[in-house]
Amino acid sequence: MASTAAVPFWRSAGMTYISYSNICANIVRNCLKEPHKSDALAREKVHFTVTKWSEGKPEKPSKIPALNPHMIGFYVFHVMYSIAHSPRSGGCFLRR
Amino acid sequence: MGVLPGHVPTIAELKPGVMTVHEGTDVSKYFVSSGFAFIHANSVADVIAVEAVPVDHLDSNLVQKGLAEFTQKLGSASTDLEKAEAQIGVDVYSAMNSALTG
Repeated sequence: MASTAAVPFWRSAGMTYISYSNICANIVRNCLKEPHKSDALAREKVHFTVTKWSEGKPEKPSKIPALNPHMIGFYVFHVMYSIAHSPRSGGCFLRR
Repeated sequence: MGVLPGHVPTIAELKPGVMTVHEGTDVSKYFVSSGFAFIHANSVADVIAVEAVPVDHLDSNLVQKGLAEFTQKLGSASTDLEKAEAQIGVDVYSAMNSALTG
């Protein structure tokens, strides 16, 4: 028996929670006062390398310049997060 | 929703809005862009948000401009996705507006 819980408007329009959350975060970031705004924009830059797979083998990875994660299509990708030095992150570098 | 020690364990999805933290007599307000709040059985509460800024870091001129812009986008949106994005914008800007004026 399917649940009858109401679906949020963005889910019924085909958006995922991640996209919704990132849109909200971008809106808030763009409304910050000056020194905080440039800090936030520097902090949130994301660098991707995208590797397309065909027949079980990876092709040459291609670089995509920093952009919004929710605009990427469906690829299996190798994501390098470059988190700028900031008091909150302590300058950590994650690679998945 | 208020959280005190001994709160029943809860997972809550947060809408864009203000979170007030009371430390003794100090009160600080943060605007949370969206996220989750976890309250654990041992009375530890975690709030996870992509962006959480002190309310005085928000610029009210930018908020007003954004609210007007997205209200207009909502009126002229045609596809479901555009309507959803415009609606999200209106929600977030109105929440920031009430955070700054309320």
